[in-house]
Amino acid sequence: MKKLMPLALSLALTLAFAPVASAAPAPDNLPMPAYGKDKPIPVPKIAKKTLANGLTVWVVPRQGLPRVDFILALRGAGFAADAPQTPAFANMLASLLDEGTAKRDSRAIAEAAQGMGGAIGAGASADGIFVSGYALGSQAAPMAQLLAEVVRTPAFPEKEVALAKANALQGLRASEANPGFRAERALGKAVYGDHPYSRTTATVEGINAVTSDLLRAEHAKRVRPDRALLVITGRITEAEAMKLAEAAFGDWKASGPALPDTAAAPAGTQPARILLPRDGSVQSTVRLGGPGIAATAQDQIPLGLASTILGGGFSSRVNTKLREEKGYTYNASAGARLNRVGGAILGGADVRNEVTGAALGEFLAEYKRIGSELVPAQEMEMNKRYVAGIYTIGNQQQAAVAATLAQNWLVGLPAEFLGEYVPRIQKVTAEQVREVSRKYFAPENQSIVVVGDPKAVGEQLKAFGEFTVTDK
Amino acid sequence: MRMRQLPVLLAGLTFSLSAFAASADQWTLPVAVKKLDNGLTVVVTEDRSSPTVGVSVVYRVGMRLEPKNRTGFAHLFEHLMFQGTPNAKKGVFDTTITGGGGRNNGTTRPDYTNYFEMAPVSALEPILWLEADRMKTLDFNPATLKNQQDVVKEEIRANVKNQPYGAFFIFDLPQHAFQKWENNHDGYGSFEDLENASLDDVRAFHRDYYGPNNAVIAIAGDISPAQGFALAQKYFGKIPARPTPKPTDFSEGLNTAEKRLVQSDPLAQVPAVAAAWKMPPRGHRDQAAMAVLGQLLASGDASLFYQGLVKGREIALNVTPMFGLGGAFEYDGPTLLTVFALYKPNSSADAMLKAMDEEIARVTRDGVDAAMLKRVKTRMLADWNNQLESFMSRADTLAKMQVLWGDANVVNKIPGWIDAVTSEDIQRAARTYLVPTNRTVIDRKPAAMLAAAAAAPAAGATNNAAPAGATK
Repeated sequence: MKKLMPLALSLALTLAFAPVASAAPAPDNLPMPAYGKDKPIPVPKIAKKTLANGLTVWVVPRQGLPRVDFILALRGAGFAADAPQTPAFANMLASLLDEGTAKRDSRAIAEAAQGMGGAIGAGASADGIFVSGYALGSQAAPMAQLLAEVVRTPAFPEKEVALAKANALQGLRASEANPGFRAERALGKAVYGDHPYSRTTATVEGINAVTSDLLRAEHAKRVRPDRALLVITGRITEAEAMKLAEAAFGDWKASGPALPDTAAAPAGTQPARILLPRDGSVQSTVRLGGPGIAATAQDQIPLGLASTILGGGFSSRVNTKLREEKGYTYNASAGARLNRVGGAILGGADVRNEVTGAALGEFLAEYKRIGSELVPAQEMEMNKRYVAGIYTIGNQQQAAVAATLAQNWLVGLPAEFLGEYVPRIQKVTAEQVREVSRKYFAPENQSIVVVGDPKAVGEQLKAFGEFTVTDK
Repeated sequence: MRMRQLPVLLAGLTFSLSAFAASADQWTLPVAVKKLDNGLTVVVTEDRSSPTVGVSVVYRVGMRLEPKNRTGFAHLFEHLMFQGTPNAKKGVFDTTITGGGGRNNGTTRPDYTNYFEMAPVSALEPILWLEADRMKTLDFNPATLKNQQDVVKEEIRANVKNQPYGAFFIFDLPQHAFQKWENNHDGYGSFEDLENASLDDVRAFHRDYYGPNNAVIAIAGDISPAQGFALAQKYFGKIPARPTPKPTDFSEGLNTAEKRLVQSDPLAQVPAVAAAWKMPPRGHRDQAAMAVLGQLLASGDASLFYQGLVKGREIALNVTPMFGLGGAFEYDGPTLLTVFALYKPNSSADAMLKAMDEEIARVTRDGVDAAMLKRVKTRMLADWNNQLESFMSRADTLAKMQVLWGDANVVNKIPGWIDAVTSEDIQRAARTYLVPTNRTVIDRKPAAMLAAAAAAPAAGATNNAAPAGATK
């Protein structure tokens, strides 16, 4: 492994000049030790197989706690496949999978999973639907069967659909009170325009349009083995896992033609300025967004490192500036979101009203700086080590490994990508970080959305352009 | 340097885990404990499956023991623990851990304050140095105090003042449910008290409560007990013990009359209700039964409240159980079992409470049948394992158990306590604790809904509506 000295050395240097503690006697002022020798970064061993029906199966046996995790990713079944009239329909489709099957009602499904020491859940993202299940190690076989049952034979009972619609309408009302929800909805439209990636939140009309028939028709189109990946991880052997996959999903058949692929997302939109009024708000919810790139694009590795440096963790530039130096916010972040056919640059913070303009100014200044000045060597090293460490930590948790593999597959990345990511990040140069940052974090490409009290923040926003005031 | 070898306290499971489907599902953590001469208790649990470690330092002080005219001080102090020392100036703590590939955070709870890190094992020694360094003394710097007063205020705005519901089920309920100041003041703090906090307060709190004798450190992962004890001795061994003030008596009995109030929420669109019952004290024979009751009634889709209120009566949108600010085994003073739910605007808090009481009455009258009890316990035991998967939460749970129970090995005993709970235990606990006289209820309504009710004669049963948004 690469031994990374610069950071440790610089810390030792800081200490050398630090004043001696005076408040308390320090009997053992040992200098801060350097990092120890790095151990090799663990690379998950992934067994792969494609069943005759086209279902891809990846298995990662582990020796940890007595649990087995399953995750089934359905590519192209997510928001991007939803009609403009029924945005976020995929959420409804996913959440109704376990509300009754040909064999069991919703209560029986929930109780069965509980009795296995586990649960079943499903959710949608822009590029797909994930259905996941976990159970005690001894219950892997029945959980595989239960997962297959909800994926393959959901009944979408009329009563459950009606209840889900009624609750979704109330849920939407509840979400409208949340400033982050409103900001992200508006930002999605600003970044993606009419592209389906802009449609990630439901509407009243769209919820009302859902029927059991629509759910069945969309299920037939979207939930199919030739567009699916099953990941199995945990206390199970490769042979046993493959056997369970074959038994539960081997005779699953696709019906009809698959949906067309999602068209590429726009690489450039006119930056917008949007103020979503929220009278009496004691904070401004500030969000910035611009066009980004797909997960398989050439620049994704350097952009990933640039995102970490700019806004990825507690020690990132925007958090250090806006929280630790200025005290404007509890948390500031920024970075790239990478999807299958495009992506976005997203950043933001919730700040008190008086510093709304100042916070925006700091964000844009940091965006500009990372695209114009080379990141110092020590900061490059710190962030590369952070990426490697976060990967290694994630690898300690089996469900996280399964979820990352499924997400990678959904956006078009191979199984090996997980293990290759850190070595590729380690090769990125400061020049590459500056280059991708100049392209993607360019302040002039960023749309700005603010949810806040117009009376308190309107004046401060004038310096950033003319804001359209709108409810959505 | 060779440490005196302490006998390793191996976890002995002396009970049978009949709820688990197979012995293969049992999971026992090795737990080694040593007390240093200065009173610091060190817990090590070895697991070589990942080249990473979790570290947690837990201090026996939380919101209950903060100074009376300084609400929110324990939490503000937690922030200041990250703001530098004479030996490691502001920023060094976070950049060292980031550069070590790790993450860190801290939380403040009524009975403890915990600081935790997770990183590749190569960062372990710098992490221990940093934890020991801030146990000795802090920077006591007016600029960082001001900075974190601002940050904490933004945290409170982001989580309370600018959010629908303002987490009233966490922060408001205890103010009404408890009699003693230690238990019923606002642990997030008033802005006035936060602004009045001085460096003298910070010095005194650190001196009184942050000595090694008032702390436990746990290390989980790629390390042996001998290595862990040696490192703890090396970095913490010479920190002198400091006198800790005797805690006040904050115990209190169950309530004898129901308390109900209505709050007006200026931001929420959908009404919500939270019902909270006082729990038995830690270590009481009913504690495990209450843990099982919480799961049986309100946790997950198979629970009785979910099936009876979200499904069934179709009056609730969700049901969420909470045991104070932690788990059912993670408290050491008066604590609540709280159930929080959004309910449909055409229903009412009365209907919600009546429905909950009917579900509880059925349990009290009929008990829980064997199949249901087995399912509930199986899921709880699996969940207990799951929460110990990550090395960080494993270390943190061990340290918390050592602080609260005086025995880190309680992590291996809890599965047996859960398994031993009988239907009769559950009936007794329900009859004792889940009664209206021991209950505190807040009905949180959208301001517009209350205004409409007030305009209509004879509607809106209560008139003690508190301007909740304004008093927090």
